[in-house]
Amino acid sequence: MSDGTNPLVFKIISECKTTRARVAKMTLPHGEVDTPVFMPVGTQGTLKGLLPEQLENLGVQIMLSNTYHLGTHPGPEILEKAGGLHKFMGWKGCLLTDSGGFQMVSLLKLAEITEDGVKFQSLSDQKSEVMLTPEHSIEIQNAIGADIIMQLDDVVKTTSPNKERIEQSVHRTTRWLDRCLKAHGKPDIQNIFPIVQGTLFQDLRKISAEDLVQRNVRGYAIGGLSGGESKLDFSKVVNYTAPLLPKEKPRYLMGVGFAIDIIVCCAMGIDMFDCVFPTRTARFGCALIKTGQLNLKQKQYKKDYNPIDKDCSCSTCKTYTRAYLHGIVTMHTVACHLLTVHNIAFQQHLMKSIRESIKEQRFPEFVKNFVNELYPQRDYPEWVTSALKSVNIDLTD
Amino acid sequence: MKQHLWRTTLYVVQVSENLCLLLTGMKSCISCVSVQDPGDLTQPGHHYKDYVPLWTRSGKILLNSDKYMDIIESFKPDMYYLLSDGDTNVASAQKRVTKAVDNTINFVNKCLERHKNSTILQNAFVMAPITGGYCLRSRKRCLDELKDKELIDGFLIDGLHNNGPEVEFLTFAEIKDVIDLVVKDVPDNKLLSVQGCWNPVTLIKMVQKGIDVFDTSYCYIVTERSSALTFSMDKDSKMQAYEINLRQLRYADDFQPILPGCECLTCTKHSRGYIYHLVAVQELLGSLLLTIHNIHHFMKFFEKIRHCIAEGTLSELENLVTKQFDEYQDEIMQGKEKKVLNDENL
Repeated sequence: MSDGTNPLVFKIISECKTTRARVAKMTLPHGEVDTPVFMPVGTQGTLKGLLPEQLENLGVQIMLSNTYHLGTHPGPEILEKAGGLHKFMGWKGCLLTDSGGFQMVSLLKLAEITEDGVKFQSLSDQKSEVMLTPEHSIEIQNAIGADIIMQLDDVVKTTSPNKERIEQSVHRTTRWLDRCLKAHGKPDIQNIFPIVQGTLFQDLRKISAEDLVQRNVRGYAIGGLSGGESKLDFSKVVNYTAPLLPKEKPRYLMGVGFAIDIIVCCAMGIDMFDCVFPTRTARFGCALIKTGQLNLKQKQYKKDYNPIDKDCSCSTCKTYTRAYLHGIVTMHTVACHLLTVHNIAFQQHLMKSIRESIKEQRFPEFVKNFVNELYPQRDYPEWVTSALKSVNIDLTD
Repeated sequence: MKQHLWRTTLYVVQVSENLCLLLTGMKSCISCVSVQDPGDLTQPGHHYKDYVPLWTRSGKILLNSDKYMDIIESFKPDMYYLLSDGDTNVASAQKRVTKAVDNTINFVNKCLERHKNSTILQNAFVMAPITGGYCLRSRKRCLDELKDKELIDGFLIDGLHNNGPEVEFLTFAEIKDVIDLVVKDVPDNKLLSVQGCWNPVTLIKMVQKGIDVFDTSYCYIVTERSSALTFSMDKDSKMQAYEINLRQLRYADDFQPILPGCECLTCTKHSRGYIYHLVAVQELLGSLLLTIHNIHHFMKFFEKIRHCIAEGTLSELENLVTKQFDEYQDEIMQGKEKKVLNDENL
C-alpha cells in the first residue's frame, strides 16, 4: 500500500479557498484513508457486535482500538502470536491505537503520574501496582500492530487551573515522545503521532506544538480537549493550535464526534476525529439524524412506521421501521447492532458530504446549510458563530 | 407453501413478540408464530380461566383466544400455532393435566372459529396443539377431540416440558409413549411438530417416529453457555468433540476455526482465540459469531437427516451422533466428579 519506506503518505487533494478545510488521501500500510475522516471506536478489538464485513460495507477505512483494554485482554503475547490485531479480529482496513494513558487516568482513580510513567493499581492481578511507561505503551502497541499509534502523553484535566502542572505536562509529554520514538520497534510499518498538550493555555499549546514539530513524525494529534471545557474555549484552542502544525501532515483531534463540532473543526484544518459517542448513544437507544438524535425508547415511535431517516441508505433504514426499533430497543442486542450500523453510516455520510463539498469548492455553503438546518430559528450558539467567523464563514450574512 | 413444508423435516427460527414488524426485514423467509419461546423457561402456574399467561420482559400479559387471534391477524404469518395451555411437564398433577386439555380444546375451537372468518389468515398454515402432559388418557382425549377438525393442517405435541435449557436432558424414553400415541392416531397427511431445546440424539429419535418440524432453540442454549456445536455427521470425517466451550483457557491462543472445514462465516473468517477473547470480555460479537456457527451446524445436521432418510441411513447417523454425545456427557460428568473430589480434598 504505502511505498515500503514510508508507512504514511499524506496527499492533499483539494483545499477550501475560504476556510482551512482540506481533503486528502492518507496511505497507510493497510490501505487508503480519505480525510477528513471519522474513526469509529472498537475498544476491545470489536465494534459493538458488528462483523468486520459490516464495517467494510459501511465504508469504514480506519477504526480505533484501545491499548489499555487490549493490553489487559487478550494481552500483547496473544496478539503477537496471532500476528497482530488485524489478523486477530479479521479486519483488513487500517487501525489506530491510543496510548492507554488516557484510560489509566480516566478509569482508574488511583493512577499516579511520575516522570517514569503512569503508576496504577492493576484491576486484574490482585491489585498489584503496575507502571505504564512510554516504552511499555509502545511495546504493547507494537504487538497490536496498528497503522497509527499514539505516544504516551501526560494528561491533565482540561478544566484544571493549575498552570504549573500543565506546563510540566507539556514538557513531560515531549520527553515521553522521545522515549516512545526510541522504543519504537516497527517504525517502517507503524507511525507514532505525538500529542499537543497545554489545555486551554495558548502559550503552552505553542510551546508544545513547537517542540513536537521538531521531531521526525508523519502526523500530529491535539489532545487534552473534550474534557468538560466550554465549547468556546474548545474551539479557540483548536483554532489556535491547528495552524501551529505542519500543513502537509495530518492533524488528528482526539475525542471529538458531534456533527457540528466535526464540521467546525474541519473548517479549522483538522483531518481526523474519533469518539465513542455514535456507538455509545446507539447502545442507549438513540439514532443520529441531521438535527440531533432520536431517542427510540420514547412512546411516540411505537406506531411510527417510517425509517429512522428516509434519506439514509444504510441497511437499518432500508429494512426497519422506528416502530420495530422502539419495540426491541435496549432489550434485544440486535437493536444495538441496528442502531450502531445506522449511526456509523450517519458519520460516514457526514464525512463524505464534507469531503465532497470541499472538493467542489462549496464547503462554506455546506457549513451554512448544515448550521441552518440544526438551528432553524437562527439562534446559533455563540461559539459556533465566532469559531466559523475565525475561518471566514459569517453566519450573519 | 404447504407443499414446501410437506413431510420435510425443517427447522423454524424462533421469533419474538415483534414478528409482524420483523417480517418487514425478512420477507423472503417463511414465518411461523408460536405461543411461547422454546428457548427460555416458561414460568409455570399463574393460570386464569380462559387465559394463558405470556411472560414478557415488561411483565405478564394474559392472552385469551380473541386477543391471541388479533395478534396473529396483525402478524400475518405463513404458519402459526393455535393458542394452547402447554403448562405441563413430567411431574404435573392429574388435575393440572386435565385442566390443560380442557383449556386447549376450548382455545382451539375458538381460534378456529376466528380463523374460519378471517380473510387475512385464509392461506395461513394452521397447527393445532395436542396437550395432556404424560397422561396417555388425557392425550387421547385431546387428540380425539381435535384430530378430525377442519382447517387444521398439522399438530404440535405440546405440554411435554416448560421450555428452556432443561429440555436438553429429557430422554427419548420419557416421551416415547406420548409420541407413539399421537403419531399413531394423527391422520397421515398432517404435519407434526415438537418444540424445545432437544439434543440431537433425541431429535433423531423423534424424526424416526415421524415428527417433521423442530426449532433452533437448542442453538440458542448452546450459544448461551459460550459453546459451539462441533459434532461430526459423517463417519469418514475426523471425529471431533461433540461441542467445544470457548470459555476454556486452552482456546486463548488457538487460531484455528471453531470447526476446521466448516463453511459458515464464523469459521471462514474468525478463530477460536478471537471468540475466546470476545466471550472473556463479554463483547456482543462473541455470541453473534457463535450463533452464526451453531445455526449453520444445526441446519447442516437437518440437511444430513433429510439426506439420510432418502438414503435409508438414518440409524447410522443416529449411532454416530449418539456416540459423540455420550462421550461428551461422560467427559463432563468425569470433570465434575474430579472437581468434587478436589473440593473434598480441600
